Amino acid sequence: MLSATKRRIIGRRMLQTIPVIVLSTFIVFGLLKLVPGDIAVTLAGENATDQRIAEIRQMYGLDQPFLVQYGEWLWKAVQGDLSKSLLSGEAVLTSIARCFPNTLLIVVMGLSIALMVGIPLGIAAASRPGSWLDGLVMSIASLGVAIPNFWLAMLLVAFFALGLNWLPATGSVPFGEDPGGALRHALLPAIALASGGVAEVSRQLRSSLVEILSSQQVRTLHAKGLSPSNILWRHGLKNVSVNLLTVISLLANRMLAATVVVEAVFAIPGMGGLIVNAAINRDFPVVQGVVFAMVLVVVLINLTADVLYSVLDPRIS
Amino acid sequence: MSDAADRPWAPGRRELLALMGAAAIGALPLPAWAQGQSKGGVLKVAGAANPSSLDPATGGSGLDHTFLWPIYDTLVEWEYATLKPKPGLARWSFPEPRTMVLDLNPGITFHDGTPLDAEAVKFNLDRNRADQRSNIKADLTSIDAIEVTGPLQVTLKLKNPDFALPAILSDRAGMMVSPANIKALGGNESDRKPVGAGAWKFVSWADNERVVLARYDTYWRPGRPYLDGIEFAIIPELATGLRSVVAGQNDMAYSLPARLKPVIDRAKGLQVVTAPTLYCIQVYFNYARAPLDNVKVRQAFNYALDREVFVKAALSGLGEVAHMTLPKTHWAFDKSLVGLYPHDPDKARKLLAEAGHKDGIEISYGGYNDQDSVLRSEILQDQLGKVGIRLKSTRGTIPEISAQFFGAEKKFDVLLAAWTGRPDPSMTYALGFDKGAYYNAGREADPALVALIRQSRESEDLAARAAVFAKIQRFVMENALSAPLAFQFELDALAGRVKGYEPDLLGKPKFENVSLG
Repeated sequence: MLSATKRRIIGRRMLQTIPVIVLSTFIVFGLLKLVPGDIAVTLAGENATDQRIAEIRQMYGLDQPFLVQYGEWLWKAVQGDLSKSLLSGEAVLTSIARCFPNTLLIVVMGLSIALMVGIPLGIAAASRPGSWLDGLVMSIASLGVAIPNFWLAMLLVAFFALGLNWLPATGSVPFGEDPGGALRHALLPAIALASGGVAEVSRQLRSSLVEILSSQQVRTLHAKGLSPSNILWRHGLKNVSVNLLTVISLLANRMLAATVVVEAVFAIPGMGGLIVNAAINRDFPVVQGVVFAMVLVVVLINLTADVLYSVLDPRIS
Repeated sequence: MSDAADRPWAPGRRELLALMGAAAIGALPLPAWAQGQSKGGVLKVAGAANPSSLDPATGGSGLDHTFLWPIYDTLVEWEYATLKPKPGLARWSFPEPRTMVLDLNPGITFHDGTPLDAEAVKFNLDRNRADQRSNIKADLTSIDAIEVTGPLQVTLKLKNPDFALPAILSDRAGMMVSPANIKALGGNESDRKPVGAGAWKFVSWADNERVVLARYDTYWRPGRPYLDGIEFAIIPELATGLRSVVAGQNDMAYSLPARLKPVIDRAKGLQVVTAPTLYCIQVYFNYARAPLDNVKVRQAFNYALDREVFVKAALSGLGEVAHMTLPKTHWAFDKSLVGLYPHDPDKARKLLAEAGHKDGIEISYGGYNDQDSVLRSEILQDQLGKVGIRLKSTRGTIPEISAQFFGAEKKFDVLLAAWTGRPDPSMTYALGFDKGAYYNAGREADPALVALIRQSRESEDLAARAAVFAKIQRFVMENALSAPLAFQFELDALAGRVKGYEPDLLGKPKFENVSLG
């Protein structure tokens, strides 16, 4: 059960999301209006005429002043109506509800892989600093940071999907319909997303652990006769957990952004593809809806991290 | 997949007679059983873009047709190789130049079971002409009144003779939607819940993910369709779409860029289909203002281009040099224009000097930022640079750059883009060169050209129309109103089990003859 103070903190953070959402959607809306391009032309079709384009601007309210258009969108949004795509007519909420689980699955899998591989590598490197093992792990980590995930994604497709035919090359399957199929489809994209994460987790963990393990406190523990594994697991890792949590929350946010490219390579109908396609065509209700949803997710990740800080470290209130 | 997928289809006596009759009048290609095609199976296609709408009247993208044709049959159809109009849902006649009569085939129903009769056709044409949401009003402006003159006969009274109408009715304007569905749904609901009279009926559409169609069992053409269904996986990244075919997840990827041909060639068991299309890569000019208001500058631009090299370098040879905006196989192609602009850098420099630019000229240029467009831009810049035409380049997305060029901003002097072609050449010239046309960036047009464009619709005889188009094309090219570069060939990748697929000159796949082996 959370204390009253923590509940207050959470409540305050939730309230802070409101101006963040309003500001971010306002900026994105402004950018969409500032950059060249006109959705009325796209909507007018292949045989567009100036007259038809003008009709469409009037029909969709695109001839209204900027603030009026934004105000109308915001007013509907606060009532739970994220409008419809101007291009295809699908309700934005329906698009998000369908696409978000696909994105979430590859991010969660990517994060899990990054942690499952990165933590053991970081511990192995920190336990023998300066050794060949440390050098090897840090080299792998450098490589992980350097390799662009879209390039790795294409290599993975070429080898595992097209070459060996072990895993699907494209697409996704809803987790609720076929969990096994969903995981098979998500594995390669998750690996592509995780490569940078593995590097980041292992490097951060190694440097934090090396610092802790070379501290006077640990020397005292050695002098008291505690075994190295006991010191590592009970004292070392506990002390780096706050740092690790920071890395994980940053990584989760970064992976959400990286899905834009990875989803394109694997043709996954996720949030990345949704916003890119909408932004290119100036389909502002979709862009606004996706930004709205993603801001909520990022705020939620940060909030979860804040709450966990106070659980892991009693000094933080 | 149903059991029927594995069972060869054998026609009954009634179906056999109907097929023979239809084949005899040329309404059908060779029957399926004669080609060894079997019925059943679901064709999985990597769709190149999310549809803008599944209502033909309200959509806006040229890539929609691949989704629309299976759902909607058209009043008029065309021959795949030449785009010559032929009867579809209806046969047409012009008893006199200002009257077009459409006689519908009997026994056709929409997917909701309602009849496709004269009243339904009138409803559709009225809606296409007048509905607030219709994007095809401009296609039907020559129609003055629509009358139901029989249960299966509609008569169109025209304001002026318009023999482009058969071709126009082979496109969006001729796709018949169910009036009952439109009335029942209202608003824009029919965009996402379409009901037509095509060979496949709509099942579902998830944006940017999937469109699913299923066989319409009471389709009017006997023995058709062969496929139980079509599933489009929406994969806008064409290389990814092709990978899905190589991996066996999909049966077909279409409209692929030439650079991907080696990938198809290397893959085991894939069929490659290439064929000419109307897709013309060209440089659009804003010739209503300096410096391109000077015909010599425009002609210099055309002489500076080495189109043969462009086809080899930009299209890996999978294309045809463009001498005008129609390819060689088109019925209105005029061969006298071949060689009007040979690659002649000296002549280009001379013309520039005569136009007062002996030290060369700087021209502002808009181009798209996708991989293929960037390559084309670089080739163009190199070729033009050699005669002293320096392109001051701006690149961006298609909506961004094309709106800046064609829209009110008029930002660039030239734009490197493509013209995707239309079923009738008069549409191409009216949309691209007529006075005030949106794709005529300067909106100005010579009265002689305007008159020729009108004249191109005044005769039913294709030879007579071709003669008018020859005059139009000569006018356009001699005045260098654009710089056509190349026709991009259709490039499709098909799994080995796909049978009967034929590419068409419009470059928009139809699946009516496709079966799965």
